[in-house]
Amino acid sequence: MAARVSEWLDERLGWRKVWEAIFLRKVPKTNWYYTLGSAALFLAVNQIVTGILLTIYYVPTPDHAYDSVQFITGQVPAGWLIRGLHHWGASAMVILVGLHMLRVIVHGSYKYPREVTWFTGVFLLLAVIGFGFTGYLLPWDQKAFWATIVGTRIAAVTPLIGDWILRVMRGGDELSAVTLARFFGVHVWVLPAALLSLILVHLYLVIRIGISALPKRGE
Amino acid sequence: MRETKRFDRRQFLGALTWGIGALISAGLGIPAVAYVIGPALQRKEAQDWIRIGSTTKVELGTPTLFKARVTRRAGWIENEEELSAYVRTDNGRDFIAMSNICTHLGCRVRWVSGEQKFFCPCHNGVFDKDGNVLAGPPPRALDRFEIKVEDEQLFILGG
Ligand code: HEM
Ligand code: FES
Repeated sequence: MAARVSEWLDERLGWRKVWEAIFLRKVPKTNWYYTLGSAALFLAVNQIVTGILLTIYYVPTPDHAYDSVQFITGQVPAGWLIRGLHHWGASAMVILVGLHMLRVIVHGSYKYPREVTWFTGVFLLLAVIGFGFTGYLLPWDQKAFWATIVGTRIAAVTPLIGDWILRVMRGGDELSAVTLARFFGVHVWVLPAALLSLILVHLYLVIRIGISALPKRGE
Repeated sequence: MRETKRFDRRQFLGALTWGIGALISAGLGIPAVAYVIGPALQRKEAQDWIRIGSTTKVELGTPTLFKARVTRRAGWIENEEELSAYVRTDNGRDFIAMSNICTHLGCRVRWVSGEQKFFCPCHNGVFDKDGNVLAGPPPRALDRFEIKVEDEQLFILGG
């Protein structure tokens, strides 16, 4: 039965070719460090699923943000688990993406013909850091508030346009309801859209070009 | 004949991958369902006797509207809400308290003393002085509150 359904679908969708291209492609001899990208991908999925779940209760306004987060961790069944996974997943993601980047450097995998894969990777790193920065404000507790005061001040030391950057980030001179709302918007709309498009291109290139073989001594 | 090898390393790792994937999905999926439907399953908070006013305000034979303020928790927000009840007595000793919420779709009914009936403005539901349905779409009589009298004061059970 299952075989007939998949046959019927394959005739119309051609999904088997896609499956083979992704999962049954030939790869050179690799080592465990080659799994770091997939580990980052796994965490990205975790962040998306738990993040969507958090928005079911979270409200991004100064009068509700803190209370709604307390409600999630204290009252909602498994709320502590969902928030915990998202919270720790965020840190783990930065670490894994960093390690993945190191492996690409150490193996020299950024060289021709994989420069564009590297460039999309650089933007992926920026997106992951952006997630961390905007997400940190959302619980709207003291730590969140002061960390964002500091973070936006750091941006303000940029020569010439620093003050302007600070005002754009905060949506005004002070950290306010406007700041919280725009950080939320960037965190749940702008960055996920960017991350997903970048991952798509990144993985397309990984599959199209094929992953690099381990470099040999003297190469 | 090497063909007879049934379950090779490749198949084993494939099955293992699917198995671990299924475990992780269930490990996240089951809490996720509990998380989404959780607040819907929580029972209403315990009910309490709420003082709504003095017995002397109730005219014999006429349903009289009483209003009381109650605090309700919804999620992380506490709301002051109004609880209303029509109280009626025929002898000054036995009281009944009826909800003023229409049993059809929840509009507020109003007592019209000229007609001696409750009318619902939304779809012309009509109830008699005991709350029984006389006309219109409401499926059942007006809901009742439990009521008690202490020191000339009326209390209804609600929350
Ligand atoms: C969200 C973050 C990222 C995800 C999900 C991701 C995912 C992946 C995956 C699954 C691979 C396949 C091979 C492997 O895992 O080593 C890969 C390869 C690659 N990644 Fe990433 N990556 C991310 C960030 C980055 C960053 C920050 C860089 C560097 C700036 C980068 C540069 C590369 C390059 C050059 C390759 C090709 C390596 C080769 O062909 O051997 N990636 N990525
Ligand atoms: S809501 Fe009262 S008749 Fe429909």
